[in-house]
Amino acid sequence: MTVDNLYNWLMGFFPGITESPILLIIAILVPCLALFLFIALYALVAIYGELKVSSFMQDRVGPMGQGVGLHAGKWGLLQPVADALKLLTKEDLIPEKADKTLFIMAPFMIFIGAFIAFVAIPFGETLIIADLNIGIFYLLAVGSLAVIALILAGWSSNNKWSLYGGMRSAAQIISYEIPAGVSIVIVIMLTGTLNMQDIIKYQDGGLFNWLIFANPFTFIAFFIYFISGIAETNRTPFDIPEAESEIVGGFHTEYSGMRFAFFFLSEYANMFVVSGIASTGFLGGWQSPISGYFNTPSWGVFWMLSKIMFLVFVMMWFRWTFPRLRVDQLMNVCWKVFLPIGLLNIFGVGIWTLIFG
Amino acid sequence: MVKYFQNIWITLTTLLKGMGITLVHMLKIKRDNVTLQYPEEKWPRPERNIGFDHDNYNVIRSRLHVDMDDCIGCLKCERACPVDCIKIDTVKVPSRGEDIKEIGHVGVTSNGTRKAMVVTRFDIDMTECCYCNLCVYPCPEECIYMTGGPNAKKHPIDYEFSEYDRSELVYRFAKQGSKDGIERIMAEQEAED
Amino acid sequence: MGVVHGQEMVLNIGPQHPSTHGVLRLQVKTDGEIISEIKPFIGYLHRCFEKHCENVTYEQVIPFTDRCDYLASMANNFGYVVAMEELMEIKVPERVEYIRVIMAELQRIASHLLALGTFGLDVGAFTPFLYMFRDRERILDMFEMTCGARLLYNYMWVGGLSHDLPIGFVESAFRFLDYFEPKIEEYNNILTYNKIFIERTADVGVMPADVAISYGVSGPNLRGSGVKWDIRKDEPYSIYDRFDFDVPVGIGEKGNLGDCWDRFNVRLTEMGESIKILRQALTQIPKNGDVHQTIPKKIRPPKGSIYKRTETPRGDLGFYIISDGSPIPNRLKMRSPAFTALSVLDEIGRGWMLSDVIAILGSLDIVLGEIDR
Repeated sequence: MTVDNLYNWLMGFFPGITESPILLIIAILVPCLALFLFIALYALVAIYGELKVSSFMQDRVGPMGQGVGLHAGKWGLLQPVADALKLLTKEDLIPEKADKTLFIMAPFMIFIGAFIAFVAIPFGETLIIADLNIGIFYLLAVGSLAVIALILAGWSSNNKWSLYGGMRSAAQIISYEIPAGVSIVIVIMLTGTLNMQDIIKYQDGGLFNWLIFANPFTFIAFFIYFISGIAETNRTPFDIPEAESEIVGGFHTEYSGMRFAFFFLSEYANMFVVSGIASTGFLGGWQSPISGYFNTPSWGVFWMLSKIMFLVFVMMWFRWTFPRLRVDQLMNVCWKVFLPIGLLNIFGVGIWTLIFG
Repeated sequence: MVKYFQNIWITLTTLLKGMGITLVHMLKIKRDNVTLQYPEEKWPRPERNIGFDHDNYNVIRSRLHVDMDDCIGCLKCERACPVDCIKIDTVKVPSRGEDIKEIGHVGVTSNGTRKAMVVTRFDIDMTECCYCNLCVYPCPEECIYMTGGPNAKKHPIDYEFSEYDRSELVYRFAKQGSKDGIERIMAEQEAED
Repeated sequence: MGVVHGQEMVLNIGPQHPSTHGVLRLQVKTDGEIISEIKPFIGYLHRCFEKHCENVTYEQVIPFTDRCDYLASMANNFGYVVAMEELMEIKVPERVEYIRVIMAELQRIASHLLALGTFGLDVGAFTPFLYMFRDRERILDMFEMTCGARLLYNYMWVGGLSHDLPIGFVESAFRFLDYFEPKIEEYNNILTYNKIFIERTADVGVMPADVAISYGVSGPNLRGSGVKWDIRKDEPYSIYDRFDFDVPVGIGEKGNLGDCWDRFNVRLTEMGESIKILRQALTQIPKNGDVHQTIPKKIRPPKGSIYKRTETPRGDLGFYIISDGSPIPNRLKMRSPAFTALSVLDEIGRGWMLSDVIAILGSLDIVLGEIDR
């Protein structure tokens, strides 16, 4: 939507022309740049949030500072900035025996996977960079790009720990695609569309019209999707690809400086994407919880962001509460619990809509 | 089949219980916080105090300090040290119990002992010290002690003595120039005799 | 379809690895995630403790025993002084005995807290670790209050103690126990009965009782295998025969007898038992008594030798001292419980996954300072 609007608006300055590839490229680049800045800003906020959430849960106060100088600012607000600066200025090490091309490629690949997913996330009724008619399908597809990058990183580092991390992530992410997809099928079944905006519009009319509350099966489907999403983003309790107490750092053992920062950034970006899909598909996206109130476009952005941030918080909450699963248990949960229940869910939703729908 | 769902149920309930605990801790951080902002706040702090008065603090483990005016050079602390971080050299004084002004030597300790030795070197290497406190007990004049705590009147507490250079952590307590001074005095005396 | 036989990969876990509890190197042979052989390499923390003791006087040995098991220094001091007193036939005053038991049991709680916390960390749970550190800190506060040091105390001396208890110690110890007892329930809720934790630890690294005994494993690891053996109960030293407490053993509640969960749970219940002992000791402790009364002026044990074992948080700690009548030990041998616990790792860790080996290692609660000495 945004690209089309921007393009039309730009075309308005040149009344004579009917078609201009240059203006189209500008119309694409400008929102992408804005999106990049948004992701960077969001990552700073999320890192700060993670620091504070973890420390509060552990009876600490986290980064704090009084006054100026070397402290991390009031309430440690400058801590993520300091972290980012540290990563920027850190020496960029590439192991001698590493496969250099792949080693350099991997962090960019993982970030591209996270970045292009943002394109299809609806922040508001008109605030979506590309309103694809197959939006949700597109998101599921690009979501699995990360696995290639992780295997690349694990393989190219030429480190045994990294190899372990890469192999684990391959098994994990590909498996968890399936329950996630199965849960999204329910959304598509009920709404009858693949378009993100149409899915949200279907959930119009307050809290109880959201898909999560549509029937008991969608309620379960939401949790299956959300937990599978956590597994896809490699967060605890599913962080076996980077499990720092077992395989040191997993796929990013050998990465440092800016390259490591990209892995870090894309982890947080992936969290955002997963939460974005969950809130679009099940929590009504930019719809207000109270029918008829707070429904202006700017409130819409607020609702969407707060739903996403809440889900991101829940992910952090999980991380700082649970131990980590083992590799085979992770697969058990996926194939023996989530998949059968997810398939039953599809059946259940079908029956439910036949009877009550 | 029942076991399958029972398992899922147990998983859900136990995980939610754990999440409840972390949430309560997060929301009540004001009450539960145990962090001290170190350079600004220092332990002990009233709310973390587990009930001792500074004067009742039996002992302290911090930097070793020596009151050189009281040291008689008996080498007891050097012998007691399990890691040999105390190194003492002494020279016999010409006449026992008398001050030697040139090198700042005090003849009589605060306990009234008349000194027979001038301590020309009293080095404590705090990088080697294991803070076992064994050197403090044998001292007959109570002149070697750890700073602060019950000794706070003699020397304020000092546990923050980090340095940029390792050699700065070797504390030299002997009075400066006492080695050369006492040798000169002895040589003069010999020349007189 | 034929079975594909890949090559085994040799993997070095450590010496710089987040969960080897110090500087330990495990050379493991892996087939994918499965471990087929574990070979521990020790000695990265070797400080010649036993040889060093042949060059220092008996009282100077005590600071070195601190540094063996640096997470339970009080218990190490205790073991050494008990052996020395038996050799020299010293009967220490009542108050000293009580203070020693109080300190040893507080140290047991502190050490178990750290063991449980780092075990949680090994399986990925971060928060319980910090909760346990928070409570351990309060015990260290009490140690600091008593002897000034927080980790390496040199508190128990042959024939006595370096200091008497400070004013208000008993009250603050009671305050701590009142604070700490409900916390065990919290640990249970957040970690012990967490389903993910149970999945990770139950049935993993099963150590049958006969294996444990034949390897000489002792302490909570042995009790986790269901053997009711506690030197405090079976061969009482000091005044442990006066107290009423249970010896918790593993019963295979969540899986097989002797798995990681049992070892974890034994430690957790043992903290409760230590609280029982502490409550009794703190109420019975004589009000007066000179803790320096029986400290000999010069420690010169008669010619002879002694082997004395005590129950530290890690198990059966023995001191074998040969005296030739001089103020310096002729020979001093320390039997370390963590060493035997590490030696059983290969036996019980084979065939498990890489993640499990880390969990098993965490459940054995080794301290490298004591293994390498």
